[in-house]
Amino acid sequence: MRMTTSSTPSEDRSADWRRDTYIVIAAYNEGTCIEPVVREVREQYANVIVVDDGSSDDTFDAAKRCGAFVLRHAINRGQGAAIQTGIEFALKCGAAYIVTFDADGQHRVEDIAALVEPIARGDCEIALGSRFLGTTTKMPATRRLTLRLAVLFTRAVSRVNVTDAHNGFRAFSRTAARQMNITLDRMAHASELIDQIRATRLPFIEVPVEIRYTEYSLRKGQSSRGAIQIAIHYLLARVLQ
Amino acid sequence: MNLFQIVALAVVGLLAIFTLVALARGWATRRETALWICVWIAAAVALVWPNFTTKIAKAVGIDRGSNLLLYCAVVVMMIGFLMTYVRLRRLRRDMTLLVRHLAIRDAADPTDTDADPATS
Repeated sequence: MRMTTSSTPSEDRSADWRRDTYIVIAAYNEGTCIEPVVREVREQYANVIVVDDGSSDDTFDAAKRCGAFVLRHAINRGQGAAIQTGIEFALKCGAAYIVTFDADGQHRVEDIAALVEPIARGDCEIALGSRFLGTTTKMPATRRLTLRLAVLFTRAVSRVNVTDAHNGFRAFSRTAARQMNITLDRMAHASELIDQIRATRLPFIEVPVEIRYTEYSLRKGQSSRGAIQIAIHYLLARVLQ
Repeated sequence: MNLFQIVALAVVGLLAIFTLVALARGWATRRETALWICVWIAAAVALVWPNFTTKIAKAVGIDRGSNLLLYCAVVVMMIGFLMTYVRLRRLRRDMTLLVRHLAIRDAADPTDTDADPATS
């Protein structure tokens, strides 16, 4: 685990953190896999928020059957927009800790504790999952190269020393979540979050997490060409801000 | 004045009238209107006195007036694209805020098994 800023977190937190943790899952056309993912998370965490980002399949009904809070974007706005919607709803529900979790089954429920516990202990305000500190299963070489280049890009542009730039597995304290405001609706939000962490000077750590690549998650994931588009969107947004 | 000049001048005149109507109806700001009126006046001058553009072109180191017009058109087009992109971004942002507001307002509670934001 790597502590990466010098600031100190603001308050001590209750040991009973599971009850106050809200898991935010952004989902777009994940009808085939959202149900097992939500059920698995709900075995350990009662508060699961699924944001159906304008899916044309039965993602909404599938998530609702599992007992999650389900929000629906009337039209597709992108993963960044869906995550921000989930975070704002979680804050409204009184969440003390907010975890963003992928809908495609790439993340392990067991790793949630590793992300939230340092925040609950008061060691930091934000915990970022890193697949390069942890283990990955069946990651293709091209994906590994793209992600490594994304890390170098983030380090150069955002000037934050992270080991994994586009991992959707993160945890925020309530204080941190209130200071984050994702304005880049699509995939470039991951770089925007790193910028906001730097700007707010909130203490963060990187936590090793396991990412399970499956045929399904690889099909849904970003291609190398998509990565270039993300970089262009992000740079344009920075210039025009 | 040849036929092309007459027709083009009429089009420029109509565009200038449309610009003033847009200001009167509140579709455009005073600054935008002033900018567009300047563009239409410049276009009218270039149409009526084509040699005038050649004089300006030579003064800025370009051989022909038509080349000066082409370069100006390219620059204006680039600015137009950029302004459209910025406006589109703002529109998308507003759309996202609206979609988010509705999603949070109509959130389905897990204890309410019948609620569906699409129908409730």
